[in-house]
Amino acid sequence: MLKGAVDMPDLIRMENIIKNYGPVQALSGVDLSVGEKEIVGLLGDNGAGKSTLIKVLSGAVPISSGKIFVRGQEVTIKSTTDAIGHGIETIYQDSALVTQLSIARNLFLGREPYKGPAFLGRLDEEMMNAVASDLLRKVGISKNIPPTTPIGALSGGERQAVAIARAMHFDSDLIILDEPTNNLGVAETQGVLNFIRGARESGHSCIFIAHNIHHVFQVVDRIIVMRRGRVVADDIRPGNSTVEQVERVITGMDEHVPV
Amino acid sequence: MNKRTHLSNLIARPEFGPLILLVLVIVVFGTLNPNFLSPLNISNTLTFTVELGLIALAMTMLMTSGEFDLSVGSVFGFTPVLMWTMVNSAGLPLELGFIIAMVAAMGIGLFSGLFVTKLKIPSFLVTLGMLLVVRGVALVVTDGFPQRTWDSQDHWLSNLLVGDFRLGGFRIYASLFWFVGIALLMHYVLTKTKAGNWIQAAGGNPDAARARGVLVDRTKVWLFILSSSMAALAGVISSIRTSAANPNSGSGYELEVIAMVVIGGTVLTGGRGSIIGTVLGVLILRVMRNGIVLVGVPGLAYNIFIGAIILGMMALHSSLERRHVERGR
Repeated sequence: MLKGAVDMPDLIRMENIIKNYGPVQALSGVDLSVGEKEIVGLLGDNGAGKSTLIKVLSGAVPISSGKIFVRGQEVTIKSTTDAIGHGIETIYQDSALVTQLSIARNLFLGREPYKGPAFLGRLDEEMMNAVASDLLRKVGISKNIPPTTPIGALSGGERQAVAIARAMHFDSDLIILDEPTNNLGVAETQGVLNFIRGARESGHSCIFIAHNIHHVFQVVDRIIVMRRGRVVADDIRPGNSTVEQVERVITGMDEHVPV
Repeated sequence: MNKRTHLSNLIARPEFGPLILLVLVIVVFGTLNPNFLSPLNISNTLTFTVELGLIALAMTMLMTSGEFDLSVGSVFGFTPVLMWTMVNSAGLPLELGFIIAMVAAMGIGLFSGLFVTKLKIPSFLVTLGMLLVVRGVALVVTDGFPQRTWDSQDHWLSNLLVGDFRLGGFRIYASLFWFVGIALLMHYVLTKTKAGNWIQAAGGNPDAARARGVLVDRTKVWLFILSSSMAALAGVISSIRTSAANPNSGSGYELEVIAMVVIGGTVLTGGRGSIIGTVLGVLILRVMRNGIVLVGVPGLAYNIFIGAIILGMMALHSSLERRHVERGR
């Protein structure tokens, strides 16, 4: 933990995060950090507080108390726009995209480039399509899909790929993936896991949330386990623990993975 | 090959069905009654068509964003009543009355928009309430009687809105140019601009759009204001043309307008809309109404045809949609 703490602060650090929904405490003092170019798996049973934690980080709900640091600087995240501004991009399961719009239009949604005078509000579709084609190749969609294809015509894995490509293109430092492998076939899941590896290689960090621990094991550097609104383990390495051991921590049968 | 793709692309477009239907309807009625295509009949049909059409254009934008507005018929009746009451009773100049009435209409749209977006009440309920409130106000203001409309034929404002001239055998109103101009503008906005992208995103997946920083609520509020303004403009145009401001006018227009919009391929649940389709939908319904009367079918049967067209078009759109998605996979 102390290695390089002075010159290389964590990308994201959360300290003593508390979130109350009325009388219910969803997060009771969470400490969590994600390093640069690190893929972290966030695991926990239903109601453990994973979703709330992600909502806090992505700006969907405000925290009740606590501190969030981005590269050592304290920040406040009150809205999704704030989160995006701090380089935090959340990809919600199957809902990050507008199915009726084309791939290119989804990529640039909310950051549309103009062509000509701004008051005409005209989209620079040529540029959007060119960048989209390029990104689709980069992210590893092998099929030749034109960037004008509506998202509705893509498979689940291709949609995740588009969402990840978008986060990478806009230089999000931290990409949060909420159940990205849900409802995907075996080949598609491997595809998505590859996109995640690709994101790390190009310098991004990820928080990967999934119920399927096997998927998490294949790709993450470190596993964080939450239970009842707290982080109960935050330094499980897939290399020196087993899926069964992690399951016991998630369900509360063990407090820690045996060292 | 290329030509073939162009052709199949054209057929796959949601506007293709309505286009064929419109051509068919015109051919059938034109054959049954030659008067159908006479300049006089075309002029007469177009006159009211463009007034309803203005409302349908704005409704297309609103429905693309996932909302709709049932109060447009009431606003259509209320706005001219308010304008003429101010001109008649308060002695305001026509320009001022027009501006105040339009601002009042925009206020109605703003109110509905805020109600829908801030209180998260479905637009069906909010605008149903507004339909009754606005109609009620129009009736109370006038005691239920039509407003006296002094002859405004030579006023510059009425010339600008509904001045008419003859071209060959056609009598053309300025409102036709308003309709064409606004249709072109809205088509441009919906398909080529950032605003159009936001409107489609707001209707297609509001949560995803919000997560990208799209101001979904603000977009919708503006579209409610637009819808109300267009209904008001149409009402004023209609009242000047017919020299009558009746507090009851516009009843039931909301459903006819929504029918026009969905026939054109715009989806009731939002996300996809087509101004071209709406223009076709507007023409189809108005041509049908005119043609049915001309060929001697009892006018009372009109609704049967309209209902059948709506059902047929919905079946067509949904089957095209399925094919489109399957082909993409």
